[in-house]
Amino acid sequence: MTFLIQQTLLYAVPLMIVALAGVFAERSGIINLALEGIMIFGAFIGVLFVNMMQGFALFHDAFAAKSWLTLQGLELLAMLAAGVMGAVFSLLLSFASVNLKADQTIGGTALNLMAPALVLFLIRIIANQNTLGMAEGDAASWFMIKKSTFGIDRKTDLGFLGETFINKVYLATYVCILLFVVLSVLLYKTKFGLRLRSCGENPQAADSLGINVYKMRYAGTTISGALAGMGGFVYALTTANCASTGDVAGFGFLALAVMIFGNWKPLNIAGAALLFGLFKCIAASYASIDINGDGVCMLASAPISSHVYRMLPYIITLVVLAFTSKKSRAPKAEGIPYDKGQR
Amino acid sequence: MKNQGRTLLQKDGTKTVLASLLSIVIGLAVGSILVLVVGLFSDNLGMASAWEGIRLIFFGILSTGRNTSGSLTWGFNPQSIGNMLFRATPLILTGLSVSVAFKTGLFNIGAPGQYLMGTMVTLAIALGIPVSALPSPVIWLLAFLGGMLAGALWGCIPGLVKALLNINEVLACIMTNWIAANLVTWFFDANKMFQNTVENTKSSYVYKTAYGRTMVDGAWTYVDGSGVQTAKLGLDKIFPGSQVNAGILIAILIAVGVYILMTKTTLGYQLKACGSNRHAARYAGINDKRNIVLSMAIAGALSGAGASLYYLAGNTEFFWQTYQSLPAAGFNGIPVALLAANNPIGVIFTGCFMSMLNIVGLQLTNLTAYNEYITDVIISVIVYLSAFSLLIKMLLSSRKKGKPAQAAPDSPAEVKAVEEASAEKGGERA
Amino acid sequence: MRTMESENIIEMLHITKEFPGIIANDDITLQLRRGEIHALLGENGAGKSTLMSVLFGLYQPEKGIIKKNGQEVKIHDPNDATALGIGMVHQHFKLIEVFTVLDNIILGAETTKMGFLQKKEARAKVEALSERYGLKVDLDAKVEDITVGMQQRVEILKMLYRDNEILIFDEPTAVLTPQEIDELMTTMKEFAKEGKSILFISHKLNEIMAVSDRVTVLRKGKYIGTVDAKDTDKQSLSNMMVGRPVQLEVTKAPARPGEAVLDVRELCVPSRSHKKNAVNHVSFQARAGEILCIAGIDGNGQTELVHGLTGLEKSSGGTVTLCGEDISHASIKHRGANMSHIPEDRHKHGLVLDFTLEQNLVLQRFNEKRFQTHGFINQGAVREYAGQLIEQYDVRSGQGPVTMARSMSGGNQQKAIIAREVDREKPLIVAVQPTRGLDVGAIEYIHGQLVAERDRGRAVLLVSLELDEVMSLSDRILVMYEGEIVGELDPKQTTVQELGLYMAGAKRMDRSGKEEKGA
Repeated sequence: MTFLIQQTLLYAVPLMIVALAGVFAERSGIINLALEGIMIFGAFIGVLFVNMMQGFALFHDAFAAKSWLTLQGLELLAMLAAGVMGAVFSLLLSFASVNLKADQTIGGTALNLMAPALVLFLIRIIANQNTLGMAEGDAASWFMIKKSTFGIDRKTDLGFLGETFINKVYLATYVCILLFVVLSVLLYKTKFGLRLRSCGENPQAADSLGINVYKMRYAGTTISGALAGMGGFVYALTTANCASTGDVAGFGFLALAVMIFGNWKPLNIAGAALLFGLFKCIAASYASIDINGDGVCMLASAPISSHVYRMLPYIITLVVLAFTSKKSRAPKAEGIPYDKGQR
Repeated sequence: MKNQGRTLLQKDGTKTVLASLLSIVIGLAVGSILVLVVGLFSDNLGMASAWEGIRLIFFGILSTGRNTSGSLTWGFNPQSIGNMLFRATPLILTGLSVSVAFKTGLFNIGAPGQYLMGTMVTLAIALGIPVSALPSPVIWLLAFLGGMLAGALWGCIPGLVKALLNINEVLACIMTNWIAANLVTWFFDANKMFQNTVENTKSSYVYKTAYGRTMVDGAWTYVDGSGVQTAKLGLDKIFPGSQVNAGILIAILIAVGVYILMTKTTLGYQLKACGSNRHAARYAGINDKRNIVLSMAIAGALSGAGASLYYLAGNTEFFWQTYQSLPAAGFNGIPVALLAANNPIGVIFTGCFMSMLNIVGLQLTNLTAYNEYITDVIISVIVYLSAFSLLIKMLLSSRKKGKPAQAAPDSPAEVKAVEEASAEKGGERA
Repeated sequence: MRTMESENIIEMLHITKEFPGIIANDDITLQLRRGEIHALLGENGAGKSTLMSVLFGLYQPEKGIIKKNGQEVKIHDPNDATALGIGMVHQHFKLIEVFTVLDNIILGAETTKMGFLQKKEARAKVEALSERYGLKVDLDAKVEDITVGMQQRVEILKMLYRDNEILIFDEPTAVLTPQEIDELMTTMKEFAKEGKSILFISHKLNEIMAVSDRVTVLRKGKYIGTVDAKDTDKQSLSNMMVGRPVQLEVTKAPARPGEAVLDVRELCVPSRSHKKNAVNHVSFQARAGEILCIAGIDGNGQTELVHGLTGLEKSSGGTVTLCGEDISHASIKHRGANMSHIPEDRHKHGLVLDFTLEQNLVLQRFNEKRFQTHGFINQGAVREYAGQLIEQYDVRSGQGPVTMARSMSGGNQQKAIIAREVDREKPLIVAVQPTRGLDVGAIEYIHGQLVAERDRGRAVLLVSLELDEVMSLSDRILVMYEGEIVGELDPKQTTVQELGLYMAGAKRMDRSGKEEKGA
């Protein structure tokens, strides 16, 4: 059960944060189809950052001395780097859709094609292979928070909650949850959030009230890019052993589905992300999930092909979309370029 | 009055071509800059190799390798050109697939999935029916049609959910892509008979059936027989050493067929009406839902045909563990269609251009320390530019007239129409 | 003593605003005095809205200056306008439908503490304003759930919340019931009494005469003149506005109604925006050789009724019989066999804007034998037919049959639709607001066409929001209110006032046609 919850969270949290990325863009009126691409790019930047930093004595020694604080700091810095570069990358989308009034679907698709191409091009030159990982060690030994992190003996039982939420977890997961809460408040309780949301619903009205629609849309997409970049790195760190392969297997699109399923509202999205995280977790580790703790892996022993589990998240997404599409309400002005001349 | 109109139309066509050419040049330039930057900052590359890389990006199709002194040599390379034509075959068809959907107002990002399903069924038929049972041209035809049908059925799914439930076709396409990727893996995993006996991550070669793979006493054995693979029609004589075959001719024929379908028939008229204005189409009694499904089915069939022609070549390899990555040939249909402004005839040329980039990528990998992904970067830049091709077109026309760039309607009447349009848009409430 | 300069709070001097190919405002001067209601009168397209957009900072003029209290000011965007105390109620409300009323009012002028919204203070201020001017609104309701009248009150409160002293009302009465119009007029007068200055844009002479102190008239982008309301009358204002005496009468012979072509019984059509029926148990007949008009204020179910008849929307109950055939559940195409439809929204339904004119002219007929063989379009036949219609109905366009519909003027787009629909020669013509947004010439032409079709024995079902059009064109009037038919009137024996009472729901008839009291 502990394993199931932890694994689910590992998938749910990046999904949640990337879905929120989608919300910020769409609520400002820009369809961000490029979440997938930005994630790929963010993952690459974060991994590259970690890889390069490992070369410095500071971090090298910190690892040797088991100075967890420094290592957690490195993790946060890598997240920050991924976020910043994700935001920079998303400027390509904002520029095309805000300034050039481009088709946002095509613009997003371009970014989705560009990110893996660019990333693989660079990885091949840097690493001379198709994967860029950490320079040494693995994510678990460098970044994972374990009992030993707090000087607790490995055999001590921390109880269910402790074992689930303190042992074998990543700080990044909690940072993402915190960010999610803070940004949801930003969206609903502040002047900035109110104005941002108005631009996705009725930019003409916002403009007539002196709100700079272009600026707001840039802001929304940039926040979106930062979150997606960060989410991409967190995904790579926690589920891919801090490696970048120029691919996140449609995770960015799943996040879009989560966003639609969550009706563009943070609270619903958190719930939807958990649901999708569970399915993604089943798909990834059906063979080792021991639900009731009796040592038997029910899912693996069931007479169902492993391929079915892998397909499951995508099938569920389609089915869920089919059921929610009638009720869902997208921001009214999303995808429509705003032209000051035509108000 | 009428003459003026015609020259205007002609100009519009020229502008489209110019805009596409400009996109290509910018795309290649961005690729070159990337090569240059990487070359300058990398220890083991350097200026000289960057210069080689740039030259290859632009003229790679004419590269003939390196001479004994190690410098690049250039000239007519029949192998490259033949391979370009061969690789253009699936690109033209996925390009057509994307453009047909575009004309109906749909963004078919599901071409990769349709392509995979086409691959699966084509290979299953081509490898599964023993040549002793049917004449090989018949098997070829069945495999080809089977691939198209599979693609069509797979295309129907996003079409159906779009038409009936109004689900964004882009998301639906993405999901069906990944489902297809897993289905195909499952299929080959479960059916060992289609796996390559030497390397079981590949499918069997179709051309081996040319030497007759057939069932004797319940076991597969190789005997002499006629080939199931696509005929070469002498093209291999013109481009010796390349993989080219009659597939490219079939692709061109299909492109012409799609052109006729879209411009000369009532079906094309209906599809375009639904694409330009779904409400008006419905108003006029055109069944918009049926047309959406039909359009996606046609698009899927075209993608499936692309896969069929590629894998029926005989000497192509299919790595069936696709569940983690989608075929590039599907996605590259998007730039092919966009660059051709969705014109089926234009797709023939842009398809060839894209496959040329492909060859260039291979040359880069083979001859320099750079790799083929640079061409994907170039392609993505081209897609990015085509997102605002309208703006590029406008810039081009203003450059010619020497006027500032502005979406200037030509007559007061147009201004009025535009104003009314925006007013009514704003007025659409509740 | 007041000088001339301080008497005028706003002066717009010699304003010229050009759009590519058209001069929307040509050397226009407008002086607004403090505490007056100043009407700006002109036809559609006279340049009223453009002028106000210039004042509100939405457009920058090429020439001319704006002065406030005698000082020249530059208004680059709505922020500048707000800073100068200028507020505007736009013709199409600038509201965020999913936001609450309160959020809409504070948007753009929020009070915050550390970036967090302070809604309590805002709420108190809005409540005080709403109390003081009798502008009743529900602050916590979402805008999409409230009536159009209340939405307008929200817009007014937005201006008051920003302490604006110059209030622009752009065609504020178009969407209101007569009673709501009266309330609005009272509110406007109250504002003026308090010293606020009001610019009132309209083309309705009654309202202008009722409320304004002075009137400035524009025509085709040019300044015609400014007159005191008390020194003028409707006829002379009307002459100034159109440049010739208006002829609102449609000349037509008395109707000779024949058999019922369309028989609607207990028709119900569900609403898309709320759970109730948008069309609720509606029954009527349309007869050959008459123009039957459905009158009513926008949004009372007319659109849904037409959609229910034409099949664009599925009906949830009742029957529709056309030419003796039950078409209640027939497809749009099937219904089209006996019905033409001039749609309400020519850009949404009427035309495929990216098709050529000729392609649009065969939108329903491309499948007929005449225009196709084995699925291939007979290009020649289409061209010939298009040419014939273009000539017959005088549709003007740059390149004839191959003109893109998008590039045609609104009037000619509408003419093309009318040509297409009339030429299909169906026994029933459903025409929804066929003259909306068109100039006088086009309106006269279209009215003439509809009368001619009536005289050829067709049933014409006309849906119109313009009372003048209803009164002059129809042979019989049905009034719709909240999805029901509340009255059947004879245009020769009723007055605009009485019609207005039915439209506003103040009066209704029972099924037998007798008047009910106090509905």
